[in-house]
Amino acid sequence: MSLSPSTEIDLAVVRDLLSHIRPNDDQEAQELILAALQEINEHFGWVSLAAARLVAEHLGTTENRVYGLLTFYADFRTEPRGKHFMLVCHGMSCYALGSQRLVQHLQDGYGIGDGDTTADGELTIQVVNGCLGVCDRAPFVKLDHDFHGDLTPDRLDAVLGQAFSRGAPGER
Amino acid sequence: MSRTHATPVNAVDARLPASGRLADRAAFEAFRAAATRRWDDLWSVERMVVSVGVDSSSLAKGAVEVLAACRRELTGSDAVVREVSGNGALWMEPWVEIKRPGQPPIVYANIDPSEVPALLTGSLEERALGVRDGDAFGGIPALDDHPFFRHQERIVLRNVGVIEPESIEDAIARGAYSAYFQVLFEMSAEEAIAEVTASGLRGRGGAGFPAGIKWESGRKAKARPKFVICNSHEGEPNVYKDRRIHEGDPHRILEGILIACVVCGAERGYNYIGGEYPLAIQRFRKAVADAERLGLIGQDVLGSGKSVAFRVRTGGGAYICGEGSALMFSIMGVRGQPRTKPPRSVEEGIWKRPTIANNTETLANIPDIITRGGAWFAGIGTEGSKGTKLMTVQGPVKTMGLVEVPMGISLRTLVEDVWGGMRDGSTFKGIQTGGISAGPLRDDHLDIPVDFDSMTELGGMLGSGGFVVFDQTVCVVDFARYMTAFNRYESCSKCVPCRLGNPALVEVIDRIRLGRGSLADLALLERTSKHIIELSLCGLGQVAPMPLLGMMKMYAEEFRAHIEEGVCPTGTCPISVAPSALVAAD
Ligand SMILES: Cc1cc2nc3c(=O)[nH]c(=O)nc-3n(C[C@H](O)[C@H](O)[C@H](O)COP(=O)(O)O)c2cc1C
Ligand code: FES
Repeated sequence: MSLSPSTEIDLAVVRDLLSHIRPNDDQEAQELILAALQEINEHFGWVSLAAARLVAEHLGTTENRVYGLLTFYADFRTEPRGKHFMLVCHGMSCYALGSQRLVQHLQDGYGIGDGDTTADGELTIQVVNGCLGVCDRAPFVKLDHDFHGDLTPDRLDAVLGQAFSRGAPGER
Repeated sequence: MSRTHATPVNAVDARLPASGRLADRAAFEAFRAAATRRWDDLWSVERMVVSVGVDSSSLAKGAVEVLAACRRELTGSDAVVREVSGNGALWMEPWVEIKRPGQPPIVYANIDPSEVPALLTGSLEERALGVRDGDAFGGIPALDDHPFFRHQERIVLRNVGVIEPESIEDAIARGAYSAYFQVLFEMSAEEAIAEVTASGLRGRGGAGFPAGIKWESGRKAKARPKFVICNSHEGEPNVYKDRRIHEGDPHRILEGILIACVVCGAERGYNYIGGEYPLAIQRFRKAVADAERLGLIGQDVLGSGKSVAFRVRTGGGAYICGEGSALMFSIMGVRGQPRTKPPRSVEEGIWKRPTIANNTETLANIPDIITRGGAWFAGIGTEGSKGTKLMTVQGPVKTMGLVEVPMGISLRTLVEDVWGGMRDGSTFKGIQTGGISAGPLRDDHLDIPVDFDSMTELGGMLGSGGFVVFDQTVCVVDFARYMTAFNRYESCSKCVPCRLGNPALVEVIDRIRLGRGSLADLALLERTSKHIIELSLCGLGQVAPMPLLGMMKMYAEEFRAHIEEGVCPTGTCPISVAPSALVAAD
């Protein structure tokens, strides 16, 4: 699946993902709304309104309720991602070792904050409030499939520069 | 990064019985005996056994590549290559354990994939760190003599880093499901609950509520069906313990949940795992699938007449969903916003049915309490806090990681011995306790015992056991802002004091950081905090201002320096950088 931005996601794929979700009763259907959205978000990097509608239809609920979930849970995006996607850990090890400087640097140097995409569509970031679990290499980011630790603003620039010159990751 | 799957332990696997559904007690006992033989053979046969610790932290440092290199180098030999999990010692990663014929298992630390050929041919012996599970050998010390391991008493973590987490045979060989077997066939529900009560086990999710009391009310609840939930959300920014149990020994958690179901009479168990932990989710799902295959979950388990269903649910990155009622709403497919209590969830939980909810670590302690007895467990720890506790550390310490130590160990032993003290260039300034729910302690407090009750008087808290050490580069005003901003962001917005109070606190702290604060602001912070604490609906708001209040109390002079002298002593705050740059990020 390509990460390049597009304005709609392939609904045939969404239907296929949903076809594997077969609740036995209404309660289970409700329990599976989040799971369905997570699958779509994982696959495409975001959940479009049309996809949300399909989920609502499939699990017998309203699109309002589905949208209410999409906007409450931080992992969901309702807009496409840029070519590259970076999780910036802002847990407490990362904080104590300088992630605030990275977050500030992304704001000043790239014009993006949590959830934003750069104007050229190259990079989307998500600032993670929890801990990514690699605390001894804090501050720590996960860029596409790769991990980078012990970062300073300069080192982050180098990491991003390399990724941009390589182009979008082919496989998600 | 793609992961390679564990290949079975080749030749040894021939000894395994057919692993379909186990119909009765005898079938389980036969399976356990075969799994035990296989395990014993693995370590006694004259063959090289290479184990690589792969978990969410080591895979970021190349552990998967190290594992692949071991497999590549040993193709065609009779060596066994195993994918185990990390053992909690982040500072050792990636590590490889090698057991050569006639030798004990020796652990080598910080191995780069390119070093694997040399490692396997024995020309990297200077990197041997220690002998696992045994005495010193040929000049290599016992790993248990290393300060990081010396103080540990591993009950919950006994198998972590030792078994292959994706092998139910490994787990069963090391005792998994024996306690479950006991409550299915040999022990009444009353007897099992009596052991849990006698153990003195208190909830490991933060609040420390006695597990026995909760189970007793769960068992007595009349409405049907009933449910058990394992709370594996772990969305706090300061802790990484529960995911490691999932990654290293998922069957222990599953067994704890299944025991709770049988004992409390619940039809279905749930595990709600934080969405940030793909490997934990993957390994736990594998464990559930294997347990279903063997008939440990499902109808008429092992012919006992008892039935248990199971569901895995995953979180969506909202910290509040770790709160019990919010978690249940999340499972039911709505926004995770806490509700007022009563009714308590043991009366009205998921789908308005009685629900017993416990933290992962709480449940992971259950199997040993059943097999070894409540009195044994109560013999470990302190008067009010029994057993061991998983503790994690973050910040600039030398040997960072997750440890399991008896309750009551001193904080100084943890920081200076277990976690190796400060890294070069760092000076200890304080240690934040209780994550984003309590205050920091200073060097002069470090001699207190770590348990549920000792730290609270000083404004600290055990919480979930995640400590954050910080050094001279961290400004306490900025740190207080970070934690308050966390709570502001994670507030579910349902109740007004939390929704409006936390942003108000951040605004005032920002004023101080910008050099525009006044002494009256300190009083304002205290007053607003009081309102948030007293008026908020749930546990998030009720403790949200605690880190700020703790920082103000412990480092009053640093707050005053910002206000009275207009300087940020560490040079962190906008006062000292550029007067115009208000940090926008949270
Ligand atoms: C905001 C908030 C977040 C919480 N997060 C967690 C969590 O991630 N894991 C957990 O086990 N308990 C968490 N708790 C505590 C639970 O509400 C509950 O007390 C606990 O899961 C009960 O299990 P125990 O008795 O075994 O500790 C949280 C509480 C609050 C108020
Ligand atoms: S806090 Fe960032 S990896 Fe743990």
